[in-house]
Amino acid sequence: MHITVEFGGGAELLFDNKKSHDVTLPEKDKEWIIKDLLIWIKDNLLKERPELFLQDESVRPGILVLINDADWELMDTVNYVIQENDRILFISTLHGG
Amino acid sequence: MCSIGDDNFEELDNLKYMPAKEKPSPFSKCNKCKEEIPIVVLRSKDKYCRKCFLAGATHKFKATLGKHKLIRPNDRVLVIHKCGHPSTALLHFIRSGLDLETHKKLRFEPVVLFIEEFTHLTVTDRSEILKAIEKEVACFNFQVYLTSLAKLITTNSVETELHANFDRLEMDEDDKNVITKFVDQQLNETNKNDFLNITRQKLIVKIAKHLNCKFIFTPEISNDVASQLLTDISLGRGSTVSLNAGFCDSRDETVKILRPLRLFDLKELAFYNHLNSLEPVTYRKRDENPYKSVQQLMKKFVNELQVNYPATVTTILKTGDKLSLGTKPTNKCDFCNAPLEEEGPELTSAESTQFSHWVSTQTPAERRLAPERAFNNPTCDNYCFGCRKFRK
Repeated sequence: MHITVEFGGGAELLFDNKKSHDVTLPEKDKEWIIKDLLIWIKDNLLKERPELFLQDESVRPGILVLINDADWELMDTVNYVIQENDRILFISTLHGG
Repeated sequence: MCSIGDDNFEELDNLKYMPAKEKPSPFSKCNKCKEEIPIVVLRSKDKYCRKCFLAGATHKFKATLGKHKLIRPNDRVLVIHKCGHPSTALLHFIRSGLDLETHKKLRFEPVVLFIEEFTHLTVTDRSEILKAIEKEVACFNFQVYLTSLAKLITTNSVETELHANFDRLEMDEDDKNVITKFVDQQLNETNKNDFLNITRQKLIVKIAKHLNCKFIFTPEISNDVASQLLTDISLGRGSTVSLNAGFCDSRDETVKILRPLRLFDLKELAFYNHLNSLEPVTYRKRDENPYKSVQQLMKKFVNELQVNYPATVTTILKTGDKLSLGTKPTNKCDFCNAPLEEEGPELTSAESTQFSHWVSTQTPAERRLAPERAFNNPTCDNYCFGCRKFRK
């Protein structure tokens, strides 16, 4: 399944300073939800200090998640079922300021 | 202790504490217009569509400024840039306000100031940040002055250290030591921060005067103000809490410090920037131990409580808004310039603290001979309770 994962607001500093990643998620029995994606990101994209991005089974407070340009709180946050070609953006509010 | 209303607590069990986080309502339209599909959730419950969210944010900014009616047309305003979402959003709010064609147009003249102090980064990285700031401010078409804390504290004339181009500002690996040396190393981390915060503020006021600005805008948001308020109370600055936590800090006669973003939270401003396609200048933050200073600890406390109790910050702010300076001050602190408390018929908590100290360091004979309130400021200096620890 193809999706786009993007980082902004300084979150990209943890991902080799690369803002946009075209990602193909491997097939699996169950549907992909955001919680699974976070683990996948940690194992495949995250370059340093996971504690600045993840906390427990979610993102660290202070990192906003937008699914197709809308707040993930409208979509049950970590339980959102990812669809083909979704655009998932992580904006850090923790860097700078 | 006040006990009014205590007896009702059992019955109103749900009101005893702040309400916990709610799930957004399943109603799938914007809270405001009830028509469009929402794209953002604020305070963990209120959903807004793009249009209503942006209109609401702009309105809040202008209402905060308008309510106090302090700024007059053509007044010069020094806007402090500190990197990150709040600063970028602040510049955008101002630019769009100035560019309006209606009667709601903002009519002051902004000048932007950036004080560099990222001494934990390499000189190359710091230079990149300055360059990015210069570019960002230029995009908004504002005049910018760049300077650094290390330079400001080592010069007697701030005007020679204000630069319009990033390559004019010299940065040195040694800047960190310059700042460290400036602060008394006997002080603990909390007091070092306190000292530097007051120093920064005094420098900003000095620069504002030099640039003929009557007002200063800082990019402090609600969380900053709430943790500052709790910090001030714990550091013995409770009597002047309204200066640091209110909308306007009026301790200087000519230059007023205003906090136009004090009712915004970070999520709101980050979304505002995202929807306006603005990417703020960011940098790697210093790794700070939250248990090393009261300031850091209060930030951690407020921000962590806020995650599950979205009313935390507003509760602190609304309570803070009810606090104001007592009598009209006649005397001001020599260091922080805040009004000094005058002796009243009843002892203040600062005086009580000083009394305990005094009474336990005097012999009975000395105590008998001492005039009334001798414990209060025995050296007769002009410092407030919070600043006395800086006295050498």
